[in-house]
Amino acid sequence: MLSVIFLWLFVFLLIVALFLLTGYQLMCCADLEMDYTNTYDFASEINSTVLPEFALQGILSSCFLISRHWVLFLLCVPLLYYHIRRYMHRQHIVYATEAFHQLGREKKARLVKLGFYMFLLFLSSFLMVVNMMNENY
Amino acid sequence: MHPFGNEKPLNALGQPAMPAPAASQATPPFLSSGPVVGFGASGASRTTAPFSSSGAFPNPGAQGAPQAMAPPLSSRPITGLETSGYTSPPQGRFNGLTRPPQPSYPVQDPNSFQQSLAPRFPPTSQSPYPLRSPPFGAPSVGPPLGPPPAQVPVVPMGPPPQISSPSPPRVSMAPPVLDSSVPAPTAVLHSPLPGNPNAPPLVNMPHQQFPAGRPVSMPAPQTFSAPNAPPYASPFNAHQGGYVPPPPPVGATLGFNSMGQTQYPSTGPPLEGTLQGLIEDFQSLSVASTPGTLDHGIDPKLLARPLEGDNEPTSILETYPLNCHPRYLRLTTHAIPSSQSLLARWHLPLGVVVHPLAEAPDGEEVPVVNFGPAGVIRCRRCRTYVNPYVSFTDAGRKWRCNLCSLLNDVPGEYFCALDATGRRCDMDQRPELCQGSVEIIAPTEYMVRPPMPPLYFFLIDVSVTAVRSGLLEVVSKTIKSCLNELPGYPRTQIGFITFDSTLHFYSLKSSSSQPQMMVVADLEDIFLPMPDDLLVNLSDSRSVVDTLLDSLPSMFQDNANVESAFGPALKAAFMVTGKLGGKLIVFQSTLPSLGVGRLRLRGEDLRVYGTDKEHSLQTPEDPFYKQMAAEFTKCQIAVDIFNFSDKYSDIASLGTLAKYTGGQVYYYPSFHASIHEEKLKHDLARDLTRETAWEAVMRIRCGKGVRFTTYHGHFMLRSTDLLALPAVDCDKAFAMQLALEETLITTQTAYFQVALLYTSSSGERRIRVLTTAVPVVTDLGDMYRQADTGAIVSVMSRLAIENTLSTKLEDARQLLQLKIVKSLREYRNLYVVQHRLAGRLIYPESLKFLALYVLSLCKTLALRGGYADASLDERCAAGYSMMILPIGRLLRLLYPSLIRVDEILLKASHKSDEVLERLPLTTESLDSRGLYIYDNGFDFVIWFGRMLFPDIVTSILGVDFSTFPDLSRAALFERDNEISRKFTKILMKLRAEDLSSYQLCHMVRQGEQPRESSLFLSNLVEDQTASTSGYRDWILRLFRQTQQSS
Repeated sequence: MLSVIFLWLFVFLLIVALFLLTGYQLMCCADLEMDYTNTYDFASEINSTVLPEFALQGILSSCFLISRHWVLFLLCVPLLYYHIRRYMHRQHIVYATEAFHQLGREKKARLVKLGFYMFLLFLSSFLMVVNMMNENY
Repeated sequence: MHPFGNEKPLNALGQPAMPAPAASQATPPFLSSGPVVGFGASGASRTTAPFSSSGAFPNPGAQGAPQAMAPPLSSRPITGLETSGYTSPPQGRFNGLTRPPQPSYPVQDPNSFQQSLAPRFPPTSQSPYPLRSPPFGAPSVGPPLGPPPAQVPVVPMGPPPQISSPSPPRVSMAPPVLDSSVPAPTAVLHSPLPGNPNAPPLVNMPHQQFPAGRPVSMPAPQTFSAPNAPPYASPFNAHQGGYVPPPPPVGATLGFNSMGQTQYPSTGPPLEGTLQGLIEDFQSLSVASTPGTLDHGIDPKLLARPLEGDNEPTSILETYPLNCHPRYLRLTTHAIPSSQSLLARWHLPLGVVVHPLAEAPDGEEVPVVNFGPAGVIRCRRCRTYVNPYVSFTDAGRKWRCNLCSLLNDVPGEYFCALDATGRRCDMDQRPELCQGSVEIIAPTEYMVRPPMPPLYFFLIDVSVTAVRSGLLEVVSKTIKSCLNELPGYPRTQIGFITFDSTLHFYSLKSSSSQPQMMVVADLEDIFLPMPDDLLVNLSDSRSVVDTLLDSLPSMFQDNANVESAFGPALKAAFMVTGKLGGKLIVFQSTLPSLGVGRLRLRGEDLRVYGTDKEHSLQTPEDPFYKQMAAEFTKCQIAVDIFNFSDKYSDIASLGTLAKYTGGQVYYYPSFHASIHEEKLKHDLARDLTRETAWEAVMRIRCGKGVRFTTYHGHFMLRSTDLLALPAVDCDKAFAMQLALEETLITTQTAYFQVALLYTSSSGERRIRVLTTAVPVVTDLGDMYRQADTGAIVSVMSRLAIENTLSTKLEDARQLLQLKIVKSLREYRNLYVVQHRLAGRLIYPESLKFLALYVLSLCKTLALRGGYADASLDERCAAGYSMMILPIGRLLRLLYPSLIRVDEILLKASHKSDEVLERLPLTTESLDSRGLYIYDNGFDFVIWFGRMLFPDIVTSILGVDFSTFPDLSRAALFERDNEISRKFTKILMKLRAEDLSSYQLCHMVRQGEQPRESSLFLSNLVEDQTASTSGYRDWILRLFRQTQQSS
């Protein structure tokens, strides 16, 4: 019972963290576009947050798996696959030399992710509340 | 902002920039922008139009001609024979609107035409400048045409009036009739010319070659504006009013050029106008098949060929004398579209090619300016540098920025009173105010650190291949011979690392007499054994450096090491030079095989070719190289790669280093000292001794509404618009593309300013500022007229090469073709209404070579065929070098010269300044009794005809073909006989035309397969080869595609 609440809280925090990380990356992209930063800083800032994001997302997925929330897990699988694929192909890193070349694509991908995390955030908070109510009665 | 913010001052200054609209109306003459060949020009023409318009006119017979002819003609098949250009149906139709067809139908014969023209001049007894007196026209016919004011808007485009350049750039004359047997029209055209400023263009109608034209047909368009009611007239005028340069009153007449044929009495001075009118706006090539033959009617002799090479569009300087010279900056079209919808119809790239350090001929060097205590004068808001197009106001206390129109204060030290016209009194003494290109000495605010000394660091491969091929020896000798000429004495720094499976460092301490070598075998954790003496001041340690270079070849002559620890060596070099920056020159002869950055023989994996992954072979495999490149640029190090491998060595990956650091890739496949020595020596010496700008950044600014979107070349984009260039020199050019930010540009002129901030070899921080003004146009025709083929080809080639990195070669070529087809189709649509174009490919005079250049672009090493047609390394190397080529050299590479020399050699008295005549690049130019030189700027191919006079062969080669069948091993040097001396002189002359690269001689005999086809025949771009089409077929294909859906 308590563990379920903790799990939900943990999941909730994970999603918030993912949301913030992605938002931060998007901000970096915007900064570069607006000329507030240069490609070197851009690359190092983005790259420093990419792996944590991937890891958090992995943890999140496994949480769903362990807690047997199959639907939520299935929702996360495509993104997990995408992350693993990028990592395996070493495409997760942004290169300073090609920052502008990659910028458009990276931004789009991150916007989609941001939307997904937001959806997940609402869904999980909704489920959390519903779950807790069920437990209580 | 105010659209005309600039004008007042400008006019006051007497500067050419755009005339204020008001003014323009008042003074029609120059507005008329005379030469507008097309249909009547600007407002002026309209004002006069009235009298031309009114349908019912005195000369029914004459005017009837066109109309009457129309119907019958239209039904005829268009064949080359058709003479009467001016009979195009549309005009007939238009006329039809206003008046009934006239019965009298003059004979279709140029002469009759001429006659009809002639009569109209006499009648014009009016003042020579009818334009000036619009009222005059009005009374006579006024009513039919709309009120003059309506036409006003047209005017603005007027280019600076003051220039009365006689030859409007874009005048494309419609060449004489297709049928060469009817030369009459030309003659006719000429006759009235004398004294006509516009004569030159006409006369040099060299375009006999493109007879396509219905020569006379040009007038047709004019007809258009005249007779038909105002509604038609005005739009056309509006367009064409364009900004064609000026010859005065002409434009006026254009309105009724039509009348040229229709014989309105009112045409006075119009003489010129009419003639202009006769000149068609476009060129055309007849592709109609002649009845009864299957053959398409393209006569290969008539195809356009750029045998004169690149001609810089210097005519722009006549219109905009304050612009920087086109050698520094060229636009793909010297006209900026005023709206996005107009831009969308311009299917070619819109952009700029900048060659900031282009070599200027003696006497035209860029002036150096020192603002002293005033500091560099720049706009507060947009940071534009003061330039000839800024305007001073408020008695000289303020200046208005021409890019953002912000009013800035003039610093006290820079203050100067204005004279009566609003010009600064000291304008002529200040190069920055009277020249488009200046070099400003930058004060300390422009330095983040003390200016760096020129630094050359050499990374030399000493593995067995490098030693055996003689590379090491040539390199050492060449470097040694250049030491005296390295720029920046006495501050120049130098250092060396050699590597095979280990790294060898050399301590060059000036106090020691011998260089000291240290070997580091630990490739995982690189360290510098002696951090201080690896990089030394050349003048201090000169003797040690000399000793090292003398002993290098012998030190490694027995080296049997085949490995290459290139990655670690690169890191070591970075550690040595990182603090200062400079130039890293890499000599690499094998695939990097050890340590970080080692590469695989991926290029030899045949399974990848032809698949969707093929292009990935052209991008770097290991991110190490990208990361290193980023680091190098950050530390202001430029990397030049000299690669000598005879096997696959992944130039795609290595070249990345050069790509992002402003470097250059040199590739000598299968290097052998005996063959390539001269070329390597020359290239390396050029690299070391050419004037180089260090730790540079470049930015290009433009006015409101325009924005640079993409940049192409070797540099690193540090922020959205800042190009970081650790080193840049006269052999590098950069291309960029433009986009419009706003749907409509309200100004009449757009300005571009390139600023290159760099450290000169002498240790001075300088800013090279290049400013150019470009008219904003509302008409697509104007854009075509001002198009610059060279710049377009340059941008297109860079785009195509970048495309090959992400798509298949075939797709990249298709894209090129698509672009050219779309643009020709759009161009055709401009004229298809007024002309009968069936069976003709029409194209603007300015782009007549575009099709050929694009064809040969598709046949260059970088884009040619499939994988079997060029080795991957050669393809990549060609791609890298094309990304930096300045326009002139690129065009030379795309359409090399082919010169027949045997006759010159045999001629008794050979003057040294004899012009070498270039021949079309097709096998038909070859005669088996001849000796030809093919020169693309990088290589010579010397082709010996099978039946060449044997004396020449023996004199040049010293051997006979019968005893010496393999020309690949023949040596070419000056022998002691007249012919050989002459021949060498010719080669030297060709090489002297362009010092940036040394042409290596390849000799080939007719019929000597397979060398002949791979070296020579495949480079004859006009010929058909296995997978590519010839020039004629290419034109046909373009023609067919332009017709579809049009």
